[in-house]
Amino acid sequence: MTDCGCEKAKAELEEYLHREVSDEDFADITEHLAGCEDCSEEHLVALTLTEKVRRACQEQAPAELRALIVARIRTLRL
Amino acid sequence: MSTLLAPSLPQRARLDWPAMPEHDDRDELKRQFEEQALPYMDQLYAAAMRMTRNPADAADLVQETFVKAFQAFSSFEQGTNLKAWLYRIQTNTYINQYRKRQRDPYQGSVDELEDWQLAGGESATATAGRSAEAEAIDHLPDSDVKDALAAIPEDFRLAVYLADVEGFSYQEIADIMKTPVGTVMSRLHRGRKLLREKLRDYAAGRGIGVTSAKEAAR
Repeated sequence: MTDCGCEKAKAELEEYLHREVSDEDFADITEHLAGCEDCSEEHLVALTLTEKVRRACQEQAPAELRALIVARIRTLRL
Repeated sequence: MSTLLAPSLPQRARLDWPAMPEHDDRDELKRQFEEQALPYMDQLYAAAMRMTRNPADAADLVQETFVKAFQAFSSFEQGTNLKAWLYRIQTNTYINQYRKRQRDPYQGSVDELEDWQLAGGESATATAGRSAEAEAIDHLPDSDVKDALAAIPEDFRLAVYLADVEGFSYQEIADIMKTPVGTVMSRLHRGRKLLREKLRDYAAGRGIGVTSAKEAAR
């Protein structure tokens, strides 16, 4: 595991955040973030954005819709 | 090529001909569908709300998705990713039917647009402002996030939604949106960048301590 430096960390921050980097790169970027305030704050904003979007978008299907779909499927032939 | 293959075709066609399922099999498939697919209704509805941006169209879209999924369920390969399969059907249905009749200022592909055509200038927040920015994002009402999502180009919105809300991998999103992985990455990056700028503006508008993108550009 080696600190990858700011340039790589910044370039791959989104892929890091979405777990789309190799295990090796993941470890290197994690190490860099631990020691670099600039990059770790950028990471924090990105992470906060992801969490916020995820939480804000939770919905429950209306009960009438659920009932309608269940009823409709029961009448359909496979 | 085709003449070489031709003699074997009738035989293959006969072999592939789907047998009418027996009564018990149909009941079993119906039971499996209700048990496995229906639990995704809330998630599909949430996605439909972000796609269509209104409850009536979202309800129609979800209903159509389940009907199509049910009718195709015998071809679903058990053990593969059912959630991704359902999302593929819903996204496809949305793109083919609902998108056409909705007014969207960004209709057409936005992938070719340059970044400067999409946003009001680059606005890197100064290091000192970033923890404040994270805090501001965290304190915004959920409605601001939904408004911001609704305001960004649709292909970007979908990529962000599928990655950040549903946690699909880039490859899964590529399959759902029928685009190359590189396009998914670009849509996701640009979508998130636009979203972040919008949220910064909303936060500034609410007096939550950040400088708006426009002010920062001055």
